[in-house]
Amino acid sequence: MGWLHALEGSSFSIWLKESPSIWGYATILFIHTVGLSFAVGPSVAIDLRLLGVGRRTPIAPFDAFFKVIWIGFWVNAVSGTILFVTDATSKLANPLFFVKMVLVFIAVALMIVIRRRVFRAPGLDREPVAGLGKVLALLSIACWFGAITAGRFMSYVGGG
Amino acid sequence: MDRVWWFLPLCESLHFIGMALLIGVVSVLDLRMLGMARRLPLGPLQRLAPWAVLGFVINLITGAVFIAANPRQYLGPPLSLSFAAKMLFIVLAGLNAILFYVSGLKRAVDGVEAGSDAPLGAKISAAVSLLLWVGVMYWGRMLQFFGKSF
Repeated sequence: MGWLHALEGSSFSIWLKESPSIWGYATILFIHTVGLSFAVGPSVAIDLRLLGVGRRTPIAPFDAFFKVIWIGFWVNAVSGTILFVTDATSKLANPLFFVKMVLVFIAVALMIVIRRRVFRAPGLDREPVAGLGKVLALLSIACWFGAITAGRFMSYVGGG
Repeated sequence: MDRVWWFLPLCESLHFIGMALLIGVVSVLDLRMLGMARRLPLGPLQRLAPWAVLGFVINLITGAVFIAANPRQYLGPPLSLSFAAKMLFIVLAGLNAILFYVSGLKRAVDGVEAGSDAPLGAKISAAVSLLLWVGVMYWGRMLQFFGKSF
């Protein structure tokens, strides 16, 4: 685990943690929050539509929002890595960190599956959303909200 | 209630979930008005709006819990600068939404069919809404840094 201490002890990590500058840690946290909103938000909007909200709206054009979701995701992969680096040892010692990572991984996988299975289904917008699509949408909401909850509890449980 | 260790983190989780609901629906509606996913008809798309209101109400309640738990960190004295700025931005976002209704833009937008552009006024309202809500998130995040709210 020597490399984790090296990451935490790097001049970048120390600057980020200890600098009183509003452009350091606070800004990374803000960027991580915006990324969360634009990854999870449109995902949940798509899930709600699949579950029947706004039934008269066609589903196919929602495809454009996957771009927004991916931008939000990558913004958070980068900002999350930076936040991780400053606090690597206690994050890795925190079981909730792994719960959060697994839930994010499943949520992203579900969005990919929804795009492949529901958005590219031949009967899209001509037939009602199949049961599978609704189950995927419910699981997607559950995983995103679970990841958020795990992320929040991380700062209360296990030190991280 | 706040004697139970998990109560505040649970409220914080709900606050972030409410935020994701609100920003999710607002971003989809605003980005459509700004020209993204133009094949979405704006009338039925607005059926998503009550879910943004739900997110907002969740955050109003959980936000009140945070203030009740630590009133001096928010209300002071001295009043937290970030808290005041966050409330101001929420009021401005609310006024922007009210203006959208009373100016007749809402009725115009209801008639925007698949493939059509929203009127310029709606585009301006959508851009202002996105900026203000991102601003609300900014001041919310700054609570623990500016004005020593935590």
